[in-house]
This record gives sequence, C-alpha cells and structure tokens, in this order.
Amino acid sequence: MIAIEEIEKSFGHNQVLRRVKLDVPKGCLYGLIGPGASGKSILLKIIAGLIRPEGGRVVVEGQNIFEMPDIELQKFRANFGMLFQNYALFDYLTVYENIAFPLRRMTTMTEEQIRERVADRLKRVQLPGFEDRMPSGLSGGQKKRIGVARATVMQAPYVLYDEPAAGLDPVTSQRIFNLLRDEQRAAGSTVIMVSSDIERLLTVTDRVGMLYRGRLIFDGTTAEAQESQDPYVRQFVHGLVDGPL
Amino acid sequence: MSSAGSADQGAQDGEAPPQELGLVGEIGATALDLFDGARGMYSVLVRTLYYTAYGRREPGSTVHYMYEIGNKSLFFLTVVMGFIGMILVYQAGVQAKRVIPDLTLLGATYLELLIRDLAASIGALMLATRVGAGIAAEIGSMVVTEQTDALRMCAADPIDYLIKPRFFASIVMTTALIIWSAAVAFTSGMLTAYSFFEVAPRTFCNLSLIDKGDLIVGLSKCVAYGAAIPIVSGYCGLSTFGGSEGVGWATTRAVVNSSLAVIILNFFISGAGIFLFP
Amino acid sequence: MASNDDGSPGLFHTMGESLLGMAETAGGMGVLFGRILARLARLRFDGAEFMRSMYKMGVKSIPIVIVTALFTGGIMVIQAAPIVKRYGAQGLLGWGAGFGTLREIGPLLTALMLSGRVGANNTAELGTMVVTEQIDALRALAIDPISFLIAPRFLAFILTLFFSTLYADALALLGAAYAGKGLLDVEPSVFYNGLTSGLLSFSDVGVGLIKSVVFGIIMALASCHFGLAVKGGAPGVGRAVNATVVASAAGIFVLDYFVSFGIS
Repeated sequence: MIAIEEIEKSFGHNQVLRRVKLDVPKGCLYGLIGPGASGKSILLKIIAGLIRPEGGRVVVEGQNIFEMPDIELQKFRANFGMLFQNYALFDYLTVYENIAFPLRRMTTMTEEQIRERVADRLKRVQLPGFEDRMPSGLSGGQKKRIGVARATVMQAPYVLYDEPAAGLDPVTSQRIFNLLRDEQRAAGSTVIMVSSDIERLLTVTDRVGMLYRGRLIFDGTTAEAQESQDPYVRQFVHGLVDGPL
Repeated sequence: MSSAGSADQGAQDGEAPPQELGLVGEIGATALDLFDGARGMYSVLVRTLYYTAYGRREPGSTVHYMYEIGNKSLFFLTVVMGFIGMILVYQAGVQAKRVIPDLTLLGATYLELLIRDLAASIGALMLATRVGAGIAAEIGSMVVTEQTDALRMCAADPIDYLIKPRFFASIVMTTALIIWSAAVAFTSGMLTAYSFFEVAPRTFCNLSLIDKGDLIVGLSKCVAYGAAIPIVSGYCGLSTFGGSEGVGWATTRAVVNSSLAVIILNFFISGAGIFLFP
Repeated sequence: MASNDDGSPGLFHTMGESLLGMAETAGGMGVLFGRILARLARLRFDGAEFMRSMYKMGVKSIPIVIVTALFTGGIMVIQAAPIVKRYGAQGLLGWGAGFGTLREIGPLLTALMLSGRVGANNTAELGTMVVTEQIDALRALAIDPISFLIAPRFLAFILTLFFSTLYADALALLGAAYAGKGLLDVEPSVFYNGLTSGLLSFSDVGVGLIKSVVFGIIMALASCHFGLAVKGGAPGVGRAVNATVVASAAGIFVLDYFVSFGIS
C-alpha cells in the first residue's frame, strides 16, 4: 500500500498542499479529483518521488521514499509506472523504443523478450503494428494509449495516471478508462488516477479522494462520494452550478 | 497544444517579478540571479562528473552528439571565422601602417593572438549561441512536455542521460572546431594581407612568436569553454518552467549565460596565462 | 537549417535545401523590413509599446552590458600585454585598446550579448504570442500587428543597441585602463593620453556607432522574422530562438566586414 503522511508543499508564497494525509490500499483503483490548481498533479509527482515536499512522508512498502539516497530511489522507481498529462513520449524515439525504454534501463531482458513484451503491450492498447511510427505522427488518443503501454510495460505494482483522458473525445476517453481498469484488474496493481473527467472516472474507481485548495476534504468509496452530503463534494461530483465552489 | 498544468500556473504566480526595481535594484537582482545560477551550474557540473564515474555507459550517444554539434556548427563557424580573419587583419594592417610602416611581423603577431585568444574566444562565443541555444531548447522542451520526468521514472537521470554525453561531445568538438576556426581565420587573414598590403604568404606564415605557453593557454581555453557551454545551457534547459514561453526564456538565458561564461573564463584564463607564461 | 531526417538525402540535396532556406529567410526579412519602414515613415506605430520595449530591452540589459564591457576591456589589455612588453610601447597601449574597442570589439561584443539578451528574448515573446494565437487575435480585432508590435520593437532594439554601444565603449576603456595599471603598470593617465593624443579621432567612435546601427537593424529583423514564423508549440519556440541567435551572429560578422571596408 501507499501511505501519504502530512505532505506539505509550496512554490514561493503559494502553498499547494497542506498536510495531506491519505492511504491507498493494495490492489485499489484510487481516483483523485478536485478543481483546477488544487494540487492533484503535484501530489502525484510527489508520490512518484519526482518532487520533494517540504514536510511529510510517502511510505511505499514500508519505506519512506524521501529517505532513500538518489541512486536507491532511482532503482525503487522500477516499482512505479507513470502516465503523464502531456504524454511525455520521447519525441526522438520510435513508438517501439519508447515502450522498450523502461525495460532497457531497468531490466536485463534480452532483445527478443523486449520485442515480445512490447508487441503484447501494443496489442493490449489496440495499436498493434505501431512499432516503427514516430510519436509526432500520432493523434492525441493514440499518444495517450502509447503512454499507457509504456506506463504498464514494467508490470509495476504501482501505476500513476495523470489526466489519462484530458483533451479526448467522450468515446475515446471512456475507452481509455475501461482499458486502464482492465489493466489494473489483470495485473492486480495499485493505481492512483487524477482526472477532471469525474463522470467517467467514477465509473471505474474503487475509492475516491477530493483535494480542494491543497487539503484533502474527502476520502471514501466511489458510492460514498456519489452520495456525499458535503457541499463541496456534492457540487463537484455532480457538476452543480450553485454551491460553495 | 499542450497547455501548462496547474503546477506551472502556481510557479508563475510565485515568480511574478516585483515592479520598478530601479537601476541599482536591477543590478542587485541580476547579481543574485547570477549567484543562484552559478550555484545551480556548479551542482550540475558535480553531478555530471559523478555520473561519469558511476553512471551508465550509453554506447554511441556521445558520438551522436559529437556529430550533431559538428554538423550544426561547421558551416556557420567557417563563415564567421572567415570574415573575422579578413576584418582583423585589415584593421590591424591599416592601423599598424600609421605607427610602424613595416608589416613583416603582422602574420606572426596575428597568429599568436589567434592561438592565444581570438580563435578560441570568438569561436566559443559562436558555439555558445549555436550549440548552447540548441541544448537549452531541446532540454527545455523535454522539461515542459514532462519528458524529463518520464526519464527519471525510468531510472534515467536527465543529467546522466542528457547532459553527460553532451558534455564530453562538446569538449571534444569545441576543441576540434576551434582548431579548424583558427585555420580558417588564419587563411582568410593571409589572403587579406596579400591582397591589401602585399604581404607575401611566406612572410605571413611566421611561427616564430608561438611558444609552448600560447598553445597551452589556447588549448585550456578550448577545454574550459567546451565544458562550460553544455553545463551552463543544460542547467538553463533543466530549470525551464511554464509552456512555450518558458522554453524561449530558457534558450535566451542559455545564450546569454554561456556567452558570459566564455567572457569571464577568458578573463581568468588569459590572466593566469600572463602570469604563468610571461 | 535543413531538416536532418534519417532517410538521409545526399550532400547536394542538403546544401540546396539550406540555400533555399537561407534565401527564404533573407526574402522574408526583406519583406518585413519594407513593411516596418512603411509604418515608421508614416509614424504609424504604437507609442506605449515603444516605451515598454525601451524599458524591457534597454534598461533591463544595462547590467549585462556593464559586466561584458568591463571584462572585455580587461581582456583587451591582457592580450595586448605581450606585444606592449615586446616593443616597450606603454604609451601606445591607450591607442591600441581604444582603437580596437571603439571600432571593433565594443560594437561587436555588445551586439553579440544583446543578440542573446534582447534578440532571442524578443523572438521568444513573439513566438509565444504566435503559438498562443495572440497575433491572430490582434488581426481579428483589426489591429495591425506590424505597427502595434513589430515596428515599436524594431525601433527600440536599434536605439538600445546604439546607446548600449556608446556606454559599453566608455566602460570597456575604463576596464582597460585599470587592467593596464594592474598588469603592465601603465598609469591610467598615460593610458588616457594614448587615447587622446590625436591618433584616434571622432571618426573611430563614429564608425563603431554606425556599425551598431547596422547590427541593430539586422538583429531586430532576424528576431522579429523568426519570432513571427514560429510553428509547432514549445519546441518550435526553442528552434526559433536558436535560429535567431545564429542568424544574428552570422549577420553581424558579415555586415561588420562590409561596413569596415565601405567606410574606410
């Protein structure tokens, strides 16, 4: 499981996260919601150890990732897969090399095993035969799916998705969400997902947390979120115009 | 178009510059910036050297960047150095004639100046714009599209994976390109001297003033500039924030800071050269 | 600036492509120059934008010009030191440094530094405005981007370079005078005598200043041209900035050659 304890983070005078405390149980698909600039993406990057918080701990499998030396943390990241908001595909590498990149850096697999694994991943995201394309020639939805393939290629026990469906049409985004849930169920991984597309996000999540102005104001099951009477949560989940937000 | 994420907005709000600093405030702020930057660059340098010892060998990538640096700059440098050679010899000739009518030592003095300073410094200023801006633009775009974060998630530290190969490629290629620049500038200077002042090429090619000190100073400048350019521009690229505006800023800063680094290093290496090889 | 795809085209193909690219750039800059001049001649440019640009380009560049000029003056003396010692020509140090600074090094280095600080910055700003469709928004509001954005910046750029060269000259000579005292034991007063003894005339300053105006024109054109021609998001802005500094540097040296010959 991932335990996030009392995380504090600010940029200049702008406090982005205030004492955020959150537990994500093993095998859970956790959805993180909140209005824009509420610190969701930052929290995700802190969990991955990409940003150092001013205070608090992130404990993954009993280890506080911010107490590890840099080299150790680099190796520990083999336990994580991550999909970035802007896809973050390496634009100078082919699709094949993009997906193979984590395997090359963090495993000792042979070229044949890598080829097999990448082909399998591409089939899973329904883009078989895309190996030799360059990322610049792909559509937004295709890039996201290649990003998903790269995030899951290590079969890491923890996977983080930052806005997996932003900027996609409704049909494509529902497909992406279903794909992510199927992936998670098949691999038994622990997933944290940030999305602004609440309606579709809630169709796949087990648990939901809501960030508002840097604080975690809600944490519970998907059903609890949908029935919550908290005015902030209610307004946000149901997309109401009237309310405190 | 990828819009800047919420984090970037936060960062920009925090960085909004206070208005109307006044001239002294402006200079002070610049000094503080420079100091901060120098510290950041020093840390990039230390980490580059660390990864040189303990990092992962990336076969072929240093050669790839060497090709890229050389290929990108050869033509540009040849044109610039050719013109520089003509300008310098012409100006020097016209002025020297006013004081000493004898131009036999023109070539020897020019060659000494080229080797000691001009080839390395002007060549490096050009490379700082050409190569430095390129490095910052590439790394900066990778930062704003989160590719550097993706690299870190794959156990590939951007310093190890992006800056280290450029660092070695730049040291080797800067030295090679500067030797080439010196040759170009000398040849064009020789032709100018011949056609304007009738100095025979044989008189112009006079190596008598070159000594060990000149060569050592010139070569150490090549290495120092070659090392400084990727470190300074790599640092500027890695500290990019925001969207396309951020990349533009990073590239600008890379050009300015690597040019400044060249000028300041030149001052200190030349000064040391004077005391060590009088 | 030819694209280097992996399906590597032959040498001549690449050369032809770069030549075409250069011709296109030169043509684009020429057209832009004409359009800017048309606006300036009829005084149709935005005054407020001009003042803003003067502040952003001129005032903000003062620190970097000071640092560059002082160090450059020092370097000039360091480089002249062996020659001065060889001929025992302490009295000529001021003349040599003055001549080199005023005619060549002052305008050249100031232009090179400002090409990064001002030219590249301007490209980045314009490029960002193109990428975020702000230029299109101006056009949609029936505001002429040339007279509103480009012409004021063009003018401000040239003036910035002119005045920066003027005080960079003075500061570089100051740096040279004290470096001469420190390194060669040449008293600053001897140095100033060398400067004013008649070997140098106002024309040396004038040539330098004319150069600075010529450099200013080419740099301002390059920076506006590449800024407006940005395509393709953040990486496009980076590439445009890169192209600006390279074109400015090449333009500066080539024009320096022609101005040096044309004037003397």
